[in-house]
Amino acid sequence: MAVEENVIEEKSNWQKIWDGVKPYILALVIAFGVSGIIIGLLGYNVIKAYQTLLLTSFTSQRGIIETLKKFIPLTFATYAFAIPFKIRFFNIGGWGQMLFGGIFTAIAGIALSGLNLPSYIFIPILIIVAMAAGAFLALIAGALKAYYNINPIISTIMLNFIAFYTVNFVATTEPWKAPLSGHPMTIELPGAAILPKMFDELHIGIFIVLIVIFLIYFLMNRTVLGYEIMATGMNPNASSVYGIKMKKTLMLTFIIAGAMAGLGGGIEVMGVHKRLIEGFAQTSGAQYGIFGILTALICQGNPLGVPLSSIFISILLVGADAMQRTLQVPVELVFLTQALIVLMIVVLRRKAGGGYIE
Amino acid sequence: MDNKNKVLEAKNISKSFGEVKALKKVDFDLNKGEIHGLLGENGAGKSTLMNILYGLYKEDEGEIYIRGEKVDFKSPLDSIQKGIGMIHQSSTLVPEFTALENLILGTEGNKMSLELKDAEEKILKTQKDFGLKFPLNTKVKNLPAGIKQKVEIIRAIYRGANILILDEPTTSLVEDEFEQLLKSLRLMVDEGVTIVFITHKIREVLQACDRASVLTDGVMQGTLDTTKASKEDLVNLMFQNQEIDITDSALPVIDLPEVKQTEEPILSLKNLSAKSKEKDGTDLKSINFDIYGGEILGIAGISGNGQKELAEVLIDPNNITEGEIILSGEKINGMTTNQIFDRNVFYIPEDRKKEGILGLGNIKDNVLLGHQHEKRFQSNGLISWDKVKSQTKEVIDEYKVKTPDEKQQIGKLSGGNIQRVIIGRALINELDLLVTHSPTAGLDMASVEFVFNRLVELRSKGAAVLYINEDLDELMQVSDRIGVIHEGELVDIFKQDEFDKYEIGSKMIGG
Repeated sequence: MAVEENVIEEKSNWQKIWDGVKPYILALVIAFGVSGIIIGLLGYNVIKAYQTLLLTSFTSQRGIIETLKKFIPLTFATYAFAIPFKIRFFNIGGWGQMLFGGIFTAIAGIALSGLNLPSYIFIPILIIVAMAAGAFLALIAGALKAYYNINPIISTIMLNFIAFYTVNFVATTEPWKAPLSGHPMTIELPGAAILPKMFDELHIGIFIVLIVIFLIYFLMNRTVLGYEIMATGMNPNASSVYGIKMKKTLMLTFIIAGAMAGLGGGIEVMGVHKRLIEGFAQTSGAQYGIFGILTALICQGNPLGVPLSSIFISILLVGADAMQRTLQVPVELVFLTQALIVLMIVVLRRKAGGGYIE
Repeated sequence: MDNKNKVLEAKNISKSFGEVKALKKVDFDLNKGEIHGLLGENGAGKSTLMNILYGLYKEDEGEIYIRGEKVDFKSPLDSIQKGIGMIHQSSTLVPEFTALENLILGTEGNKMSLELKDAEEKILKTQKDFGLKFPLNTKVKNLPAGIKQKVEIIRAIYRGANILILDEPTTSLVEDEFEQLLKSLRLMVDEGVTIVFITHKIREVLQACDRASVLTDGVMQGTLDTTKASKEDLVNLMFQNQEIDITDSALPVIDLPEVKQTEEPILSLKNLSAKSKEKDGTDLKSINFDIYGGEILGIAGISGNGQKELAEVLIDPNNITEGEIILSGEKINGMTTNQIFDRNVFYIPEDRKKEGILGLGNIKDNVLLGHQHEKRFQSNGLISWDKVKSQTKEVIDEYKVKTPDEKQQIGKLSGGNIQRVIIGRALINELDLLVTHSPTAGLDMASVEFVFNRLVELRSKGAAVLYINEDLDELMQVSDRIGVIHEGELVDIFKQDEFDKYEIGSKMIGG
């Protein structure tokens, strides 16, 4: 009798896993199916297009490195949305917070260049500056919500514009601007401020991101703050009745989110461009901060899912670039696929009675 | 002849939600012009059966006949057309509309303008006929729960319902209102309306109904003629498959053992005034009382007279405008909830789903709630889920929570089991003071008895209990003293030998 019960239990566990995975698989099938039809109708070879899209990341060393290089900033941008999303607030400001991180990394890097700091001091300082700058911008939105009940969607979008024009200001103003440059950019940071390369073009930002993935997992699952964020997300009323301070939790999630985005921006400046340059936080013509929203929605803000959905979107982004280069399939078609995936996941999870978005 | 008299027959109805079988081949029928009680404990399937008859759920198998005609409801629109009206436990009215606007909402769809005058006359007549008086031009959000229910009943009748399903209509009513409602229902029955009265209180069935059917665990146990049946017959039907000690009273009888009370009060409120956190809440005005260790102080009052505010100011004393709260000799004004919980206080809120639990979380997550800062659940400053897990298992064992394991999502448990977890969580630490608000609301008898026993145990251990409840019968069962709250003021405190339902009741309504 007991054995039989166990079998039933196990079966239902598998059932649970399948129920969890099913919407994702279905969403992928439908999204790729629909975009395949469109790609076909536009007269491209669908099979070849998808081969390029999905396999470019794996077929060459360059593909792998390109994918990881996108994975780094995208993961940070994804956390920036995912963490406030846990308590059901929308941080649309990952984009601006990322820019802010980059701006102040460049300003601090240039300002400290005279001190001849060694890398192992210089880089940590700039990492802290980047995180603080992003956190500061996000905290404005968090505090506006906490004390004046202003919707963070609105405030973060507005702050994005401030950050966007601040990039242009810094990149075109003495003493930061690079002389004789047509494109808005600053002078290069000193060598000690640049993230060392490991393989080819891949810099040590990949380690930073892995450490952060671990720390965020740890924060969410083992700390009191992580528990309070989770509890608040599940039921803000009950949480506040049992002593969790809504305002504090709200502002802390925005601070963490902003720090993540800011760090992502700083790493792009320190690792990829070596300077602040207009469009430094973009890929395939769109801001990482925007992709981060999409990526976070795919994993429904689950901190464990963030790296997975980030790597998946990175693969698509690399594939999309290659598809455009080799087959002239417009990169926008891949954005369409991504948007479809997100939509389908939301719809299917909703249908299955789960999901966050209401 | 019988069949002519049947306005509704449901045969062989089964319904499952996932793996849970809510109804198992249930037969149910209604005679024209009767009040038919549907009796059962929480989670017995009463609401499910009625939601099927109302067209909200689709039965997995079975047939439904209305006046001999087979029907297949796709939505409540179909059932409303067949004359079925349902009054749900929670209000389905538009709060921003007046009662009148709510009543005609959706009924005048084919006209360009709302003919309020005609409708108003018709409604006034219905009101008068059935003795259901309420102001028509007040916004529903400003009406108390008892009145909202009247609005809903009138709405159903106005839309032509002749089979009326009332889902636990008495939960938000005081004794007086219940008797009023009963009178109105009788008047409707005289006009040929058939009424289903869902409840888990045997007393109400005997008082209100002509016949009663008993559901337990999704199985129809049978139907009795309540004019002939006794309480014992119903109890037997309800519990024939369970070994539960049934006492004569509708409520479990609790003996309060002799306990030596502490010399000093554990909690003192001195001239306490506090602002409500909610916009339309009731402010507390100059409240004075003491609770001693080993004492249960009941707080009686009609819902919305400051009970919630009283409970909340004790665990979050940050809206105090005057006076002070002394806990074990220490002034706690301005402290945080965590600081107060650290002083061996815990809270069981009124609305368990809204304020008591993280419905999406599992039992473990919920046992930790309110204890998350405590060292007992940490190692090296981090949460130790192992420790939480073993505590959760203890709670599940000790409080007999019916669940597969501690990872079960709590929102999927029944109300009684959720409450067991909430109580288990509250009693993890040795308490000096428990603040609890309607901990028995909506629970079946076995669970009510369970809750009572825990409160009395706590009292025996020398803790102070502040027990807020709108149900006077329940308060009188377990309180050492009963304070009456009215419009934010504590108007009187009765000692046990002075308990008198009429006296207390009249204080509750401001007399």
